[in-house]
Amino acid sequence: MSQLDDLKNAIKGRLGELECVIGWEQGYDSLHATPLFIRSEADLDRLIIGPLAVHNLVTYLTGFKGKKVGVVVKGCDSRSVIQLLNEKLINRDDVVIFGLCCDGVVSQRKIRAALPADPGFVESVEIGASDLKVTVAGQAATLRLSDVLADKCLICDTPDAIVSDVLIGTPHTPAPAASLACQDEFEAKSDAEKFAFWQETMSRCIRCYACRNACPMCVCRDHCIATSRDPLWLSQDNSPAENMMFQMVHVSHLAGRCTECGECERACPVDIPLMLLRRYMNRQVKDVFEMQAGKVLDQTPPLLTFKVQEERINERGW
Amino acid sequence: MERFITKENLTRLAEELAATHRVLAPVATCGTVTFRRFQPGMALDLHSRMAAVSPKAATFPQTETLLTVKSEIPEKKPVITETLPQGKSVVIGCRPCGARGKLIFNPVYETDTTKDPYFILRRDNTVFVSLACDRPETTCFCHSVGSGPADPDGSDVLLTLVGDGYVARSVTEAGEEILKSALFADAGAKGKEADAKNEKAREMMGEAHDYVSAPAKLLARFDDLDFWAAQSAKCISCGACTYMCPTCYCFNITDDDQGLESRRIRTWDNCMSHTFTLEGSGHNPRPTKAHRLKNRIGHKFSYYPDLHGGVMACCGCGRCIKQCPAGVDIRQIVKAAQEYSE
Amino acid sequence: MPAQDVRELRIVGFLCNWCSYGGADTAGVSRFTQPTDLRIIRVPCSGRIDPLFIVRSLMNGADGVLVSGCHPRDCHYAEGNFYARRRLEMLKRFLPITGIDARRFEYTWVSASEGQRWQHVVTEFTRRVHEFGPAPTFNPASEADWNALAVQAGQGQACPCHG
Repeated sequence: MSQLDDLKNAIKGRLGELECVIGWEQGYDSLHATPLFIRSEADLDRLIIGPLAVHNLVTYLTGFKGKKVGVVVKGCDSRSVIQLLNEKLINRDDVVIFGLCCDGVVSQRKIRAALPADPGFVESVEIGASDLKVTVAGQAATLRLSDVLADKCLICDTPDAIVSDVLIGTPHTPAPAASLACQDEFEAKSDAEKFAFWQETMSRCIRCYACRNACPMCVCRDHCIATSRDPLWLSQDNSPAENMMFQMVHVSHLAGRCTECGECERACPVDIPLMLLRRYMNRQVKDVFEMQAGKVLDQTPPLLTFKVQEERINERGW
Repeated sequence: MERFITKENLTRLAEELAATHRVLAPVATCGTVTFRRFQPGMALDLHSRMAAVSPKAATFPQTETLLTVKSEIPEKKPVITETLPQGKSVVIGCRPCGARGKLIFNPVYETDTTKDPYFILRRDNTVFVSLACDRPETTCFCHSVGSGPADPDGSDVLLTLVGDGYVARSVTEAGEEILKSALFADAGAKGKEADAKNEKAREMMGEAHDYVSAPAKLLARFDDLDFWAAQSAKCISCGACTYMCPTCYCFNITDDDQGLESRRIRTWDNCMSHTFTLEGSGHNPRPTKAHRLKNRIGHKFSYYPDLHGGVMACCGCGRCIKQCPAGVDIRQIVKAAQEYSE
Repeated sequence: MPAQDVRELRIVGFLCNWCSYGGADTAGVSRFTQPTDLRIIRVPCSGRIDPLFIVRSLMNGADGVLVSGCHPRDCHYAEGNFYARRRLEMLKRFLPITGIDARRFEYTWVSASEGQRWQHVVTEFTRRVHEFGPAPTFNPASEADWNALAVQAGQGQACPCHG
């Protein structure tokens, strides 16, 4: 039986006790998936998994507080579940986790760059074991999956769900943690270059807050300090400085909590490389506290605790 | 007037106009196409894809300074200066749907009793040089909302790609002025080719969806919160759809104070946000995303057409569908309301 | 001591009420001369300092930000500065990716009796910030700056910042 059939069977068995199970279905065209809220066996027919199922569905979990729901998670998504559990933002008994052993998901950005025409003109998509056959505007193209995988998948060390009630598929031998060339290159730039980069890039931001709302860890939802009037942290003016300020708010509030699922960057309609900020902050957290968010259950987020003697923070003597 | 301009000369034209106008044009940065203030030295990118954000900002900028307030000393009466938009603008290379967006603003921002000088000034001082689409994207539905891939409505000049350049047709007098530039040549027989291309593009769009029943059907679902909860389940309540939209015209006015100076600014607002309807008392008449999505869709396909002669407040560009982080499809939701049976 | 012959810079100081504010007071009462670029904001505890106070100051045009609290293990509220230490350290380490010079922000610990140490901290930090000069504003200062950035950015389809 295929992974998908296994998953459908597993969901079918639990559907009765659940408000819904969150999975994916085909979206507005054959190249895009969209979240699916399975409430009946009929809905189950539309379920898909695979490289197009990019969304981190854990984002929806806190919206179901007090109800018991199921969620399908990839390895990276399961880290978000763990982090929410660690912060006691969801109740383990209220979630049934259908974990996947994931072979990676695509980056629509990379597909767009690799196709001979705009992916908006897509006519058909065939998903093979290691490639995507896409027909756009009458032209057929074969994309190697490894060429269009999302950045997070290139450096993934948790392909299989870390926490789950049912694990579907064959577990991988996780690759050792790697680093990303674009990240290293960016970090090697001078302060002035980086500053100019963000000035320019933030002038493109329209502050739609898709990055915030797609984030599974942004649990304040309607009560974010970015939209609060009192205190007034941010002006409504969408100047680069205010836009950057919001990103600083986002990164600060995710320090030690970000599970690097990449949803902020994926959600950005103007493709701002937000993960440059997130990955950098996460590495600082790892260096100082020897922790990575969402990897271990029952771990207190580093900024919610302290040590009297910090091994890796110098005392800033003057 | 019908003229022809090569691709190279279109860039020249943009450069020429940039000396006297604020030129907005699609430019790719890191593979992302957005409308930018065009500067000589930039490369136009008219064809790789539709710009991520609509050209709405040309007539309705995301931040518009309405007035400034300045005090010399706290005790003295402050000086208030109205800052009406100055100068002329040209938008080059938007799609017909993007240019058409501002038409939806007209009956709201310019009525017998209320006139918005900021919008009207910008609209009257902006020329839209649009590019007809040669094939529809999976998210395009302009033909279903009374438009089409070569719709001249809202544009001043309409370009159609033919060979290595564009057949340029003036739609308005302001457009005709642009075509007087020496960079344009005689179109010759290319006009016929352009017609054929536009006709083909229209055919490729297939049959239009009929939205005539939408206003009444959506209104019938007004109190059905279960319907809206189901439709909005995957919505993450961000503002991407509204900010991308060429026709969304809601705004917010705030004062930006810095010491003894202050700026009253008008900024885009979005009805997907909790604060959009949050009242001073703390009460919020649209507390959930279901309420808010109902408003967005109801406004576009029911309340607006009811008030303004059946015109949908949508130009079918599809940005809200393809840029939605969760893939919410406005067409499906309206259709679900239209096909709903008890 | 006025800042020698150069223009004063804007340095914001967040000082805890119980130690560092007292330390600054001690320095003043003892007539230790100090540069006058620092504008002090008194907060109850370094644990009260949201790292975003510092970010907001820097984004709003501060040329430097100095945070000072009670020495670790000496917090008036027992553990406020332990939390602060973690937060401030993360901010300091994060700044380089934004291109904001992390040396424009410093945090340290000064007790109420350490007037001399306070004088040293302020003098040293002010000297350091003067070395860097006024901080660049995030919103490009002139139309010309903007144009240069924009032309440089309109580089087409190539994208080095996503993998």
